[in-house]
Amino acid sequence: MSVDKLAYYPGCPSEATALDQDISTKAVFKALGVELVEVEDWNCCGAAEAEDPKLVYALNARNLAIAEKDGLDIVTPCSICYYNLARTNNALKADEKLRAEMAEIDPSLSYNGTVTPKHILDVLMNDIGVDELKSKIVKKVEVKVAPYYGCYIGRPLGTAFDDPDDPVLMDQLIELIGGENVPFDYMKTKCCGGPLMMTRADIAFEMARKVLETAKNAGADCVALACPLCGMMLDAKQPDVEKALGIKIGMPVVYITQLLGLALGIDPKSLALGKNTVDTKVILGKVV
Amino acid sequence: MPIKTWELDSNFKNEILNEAGGEHLTACYQCSTCTLGCPITEIVPSYNPRKIIQMSLLGMRNEVLSNPDLWICAICQTCTARCPQDVVVGDVLAAIRRIAEKEEEAGNLKIESPRPLFEKAFLHTVEKYGRLYDIGLALEYYPKREGGTVSGIKAMMNDYKDFGMRMAFRGKMGPLGGHGLLKGVLPSKIKKTDVMKKIFEKVEGK
Repeated sequence: MSVDKLAYYPGCPSEATALDQDISTKAVFKALGVELVEVEDWNCCGAAEAEDPKLVYALNARNLAIAEKDGLDIVTPCSICYYNLARTNNALKADEKLRAEMAEIDPSLSYNGTVTPKHILDVLMNDIGVDELKSKIVKKVEVKVAPYYGCYIGRPLGTAFDDPDDPVLMDQLIELIGGENVPFDYMKTKCCGGPLMMTRADIAFEMARKVLETAKNAGADCVALACPLCGMMLDAKQPDVEKALGIKIGMPVVYITQLLGLALGIDPKSLALGKNTVDTKVILGKVV
Repeated sequence: MPIKTWELDSNFKNEILNEAGGEHLTACYQCSTCTLGCPITEIVPSYNPRKIIQMSLLGMRNEVLSNPDLWICAICQTCTARCPQDVVVGDVLAAIRRIAEKEEEAGNLKIESPRPLFEKAFLHTVEKYGRLYDIGLALEYYPKREGGTVSGIKAMMNDYKDFGMRMAFRGKMGPLGGHGLLKGVLPSKIKKTDVMKKIFEKVEGK
């Protein structure tokens, strides 16, 4: 399936802490000829902090309804936003009463279930597809990568778009751009600890350490990921993890759109590669 | 721990079954797959979702609701994905947490974990602005967690001073790197905040 226009749901971190992901996503989709139309006046999906499913449904019904008016499927670069959009879509599609309940909260929450929410990794690999990507790739990014999927790409079952224990889409993308995947199987789908960062930093830091040190020990030049909360925990908080645990890691962490962008010939600045916390110069030296 | 049968609350499982996400609780046959794959159990060995479910089924209401481990689930969905009985383990735990929060609001329980304070502070910014506002969240959460404004701000600075500087120098917050002088410093407010207010009023019953 080819795709030329999608509604874009950036998610809250896109405006500050994950600016690099937002900038690189827009640059990559532009280079691929896919127009992203930002969901007008979008609101927060509730992230992991809205624990009441009804609240998640209401918050996301509004975003889905806005995209539905434009007749577009939604793409988001955030795994948690994706999970919340997708499970809301599933619940509302299956339950007329729930749809009526949403519309009763406010007419702008009236949603008929015609939008398909997607994660950028899914769109890149399954909708745009390997052949199309191949035809646009002009450079080889010869880095050793630890492909990190985190939580919501392969699970839970109702919203996942890759295998829960052995996901492959990011691995394939890395190979496509000329990179090499280091052995990382056990860690690929482990949680980064992000949701516990503010309430149990001790546990969260230990979870992040495991991911980062496993990548380092496997010989990776960088960790690749596709979620701004993983980015926050593994990149932006990496110096805090090092300080708290008294260790040195120094593992560059990049978004998949930053790596793909390099292969598409986009200059590093337009991919916001200077905004990652851990220096990413080692990657730039391996683009040929 | 000894089970005091005369203290069991046989209705507790029904309370959970009636909460959204708790519907499949009784399908659990105690295989422990949830716990064996849990990344939290790897770090905190006492953490045992299987046990929390069994105690809930037995009606050990007080022990379950006052269990500090309720609040360290990272909602990673590994347990849910692997459960052979389709118990939505993550959602069951969330349902139990909501019951605990109601008990605390009714004055029957004191939750030691700061997690409810954090989640409330997060959602307050969403209710007010339509989007997460990190600094607003922190300014509500830390003073409440520390039980005072001064100690709260001190704890916040301790956790986020270096982080804030990094974000500023990378041009992710503040004047550097374009996207506005006060990017990330002031809240990003949506136009339809009235709809947010309605959502929280009607869903959360506020």
